[in-house]
Amino acid sequence: MGRRILVAEDEVLAAMAIEDELQREGYEVVLAPDGHAALEEARAQLPDLLLTDLRMPRLDGIGLIRALRDLAPTLPVVVMTGYAPAGGADAFRRPGEGPVTLFAKPLDMDAVLTELRRLLPVE
Amino acid sequence: MFSSAAALQPAAASSGNPLLADPVVQWLHTIADVSIGLACLSVSTVLVMLLRREPALRWIITVSAIFLLACGVAHLVQAVALFRPAPWIAGTSKVATAILASAAAVLLWPALAKWLSLRPRAELEREAEESRAAERRALEAEARIANVVANLSEAVFVLRVEDGQFLVDSVNPAFEKLFGVHAAEVQNGIAEEVLPRAMTMHCLPHWRDALAGGGTQDYEVTAEVPTGRRTWQTVLVPLRGPGGRVERLLGSARDVTATRRLQAGLVQSARLATLGTMCTGLAHEASQPLNIAGLWLRRARHAAQTSSADVQGAVSRALAVVEDQLRRAGELVARIRGLAGEDAAAQQRFDAVPSVAAAVRLACAQAAEQGVRITLHHPAAPMPVRGNPARLEEAVLHLLANACDSVQERRQKDPAAPARVIVNLRREAGRVVVEVRDSGTGIVDSLSETIFEPFFTTKEPGRGTGLGLTIAASIARGMGGGMEAWNLAAGGACFRMLLAADDEAPVAMAAA
Repeated sequence: MGRRILVAEDEVLAAMAIEDELQREGYEVVLAPDGHAALEEARAQLPDLLLTDLRMPRLDGIGLIRALRDLAPTLPVVVMTGYAPAGGADAFRRPGEGPVTLFAKPLDMDAVLTELRRLLPVE
Repeated sequence: MFSSAAALQPAAASSGNPLLADPVVQWLHTIADVSIGLACLSVSTVLVMLLRREPALRWIITVSAIFLLACGVAHLVQAVALFRPAPWIAGTSKVATAILASAAAVLLWPALAKWLSLRPRAELEREAEESRAAERRALEAEARIANVVANLSEAVFVLRVEDGQFLVDSVNPAFEKLFGVHAAEVQNGIAEEVLPRAMTMHCLPHWRDALAGGGTQDYEVTAEVPTGRRTWQTVLVPLRGPGGRVERLLGSARDVTATRRLQAGLVQSARLATLGTMCTGLAHEASQPLNIAGLWLRRARHAAQTSSADVQGAVSRALAVVEDQLRRAGELVARIRGLAGEDAAAQQRFDAVPSVAAAVRLACAQAAEQGVRITLHHPAAPMPVRGNPARLEEAVLHLLANACDSVQERRQKDPAAPARVIVNLRREAGRVVVEVRDSGTGIVDSLSETIFEPFFTTKEPGRGTGLGLTIAASIARGMGGGMEAWNLAAGGACFRMLLAADDEAPVAMAAA
């Protein structure tokens, strides 16, 4: 199983810190500053997991998840958000699609890493 | 010897009356006198009997009857005198008759004048009939008005003023219903003694104003009466007696509890909706810098691990403080976010009783440490509502925490104050009401509008986030209801969550 994570986050400082944490865990990280750029990256090479913000310029997190699900329906997705969407994680997921986990900002990074280890076990 | 034959012999010879010399003439006189005498007696008897039926003519009839009686007696005496001459007796009876006849003649004229001034009987009867009809109409009108007043939706009451005190003159059924009293028990009682205390306490000043100023009073009162907490609007009209003094007060009270509650709810909802939008924005905006600060804190900690032990110790202490503060800020953001909206997907039909009971059980342990006793009262029947059981439990916990804090605060100033929190779970007109009554400090009146707003707290710094009541109100709103609060007359406050009762029968799942 691959260990490539696509991180879509428009805040550069947050993206840098997350990249640091993930690399320390042994993941391969691809950064994208918005949904559109993230989709381009995914089309070039499909990641094993998407870690995305919701509010981003050009294409937001919800649009990104929808588009990405068309490419890879079972791709696991972890959402980091400052909002609490009605309906929780199920709001992003249609039946038969891969799992979606929701984390509220400010992130509890230990919880996020634990979830990533569960979704992408270290070989 | 006196023989009958001799007795019937005409006395002409001895009396010397020439008229009586002829026996035929004598018999003519005798028959005429006896007939007239008997007729007079008969007519006077009839008149005496008539006296009873015609009291208005008593004087005329009496005088006429005496006159006729005298005439009759005189004629009979005359008839006897024809056969046995007794000139003195005959003369005396004639003189007596003459006196009575003259007296009758004199007395009858004024009596006649008086009789003529009396109105004819037919007219009197017509008048009597008219007055009976008028009385009937008045009674009907009175009954109609009484019926209208009895069926009026407004509470009508009349107060009688006696020696500066207000006595209850009458109340209608709407009044009985609004204030939970019985007309028979309050009628003629002193208002302050027979009407609910909370009501008279607020209304007496207005009654006194109406009495003193004599003008119409218009006032609105909210108080806890036996039927619950009510708001009513009263128009009070002073009624003056013939002397111009105010003798009675006529009041009409309209129950506006539901309207006011609705208005308050709308204002509260609008305000909270605005604040909700603000909270969502604030939570999102604050979460970004907090997120970055948190992530970089972890980076700094990793970096510090590679430095010398001295530096590491100092830096990690500093970082621990920063981390702790960031965690606090993060928790705050999470709570604010929770205010913004209820999770629509998690709504379900459930019984409110176990949720409230669970919250009470949880709160009891901590309350016992503070010396506060919490009791729960609820009916045996389930109370179905719609929402999320865990959220209802959370809301009740917030209310209980708030109540216990308030009790504590009062006890700090007055150690003898009661330490009691009562939770009542009951139904009220299509709603399930969770009522939390405490014996604490109560709500400062000027603040009652703002207590449900976020970050509003009267607690000393460091105690309470100012979000408890806001969260409870938000949860109540999410369950199709709202919150209200007021101070209790005996001290302390009453907080009520009004939840929409979900009474529809559970949808039976038909077997496929």
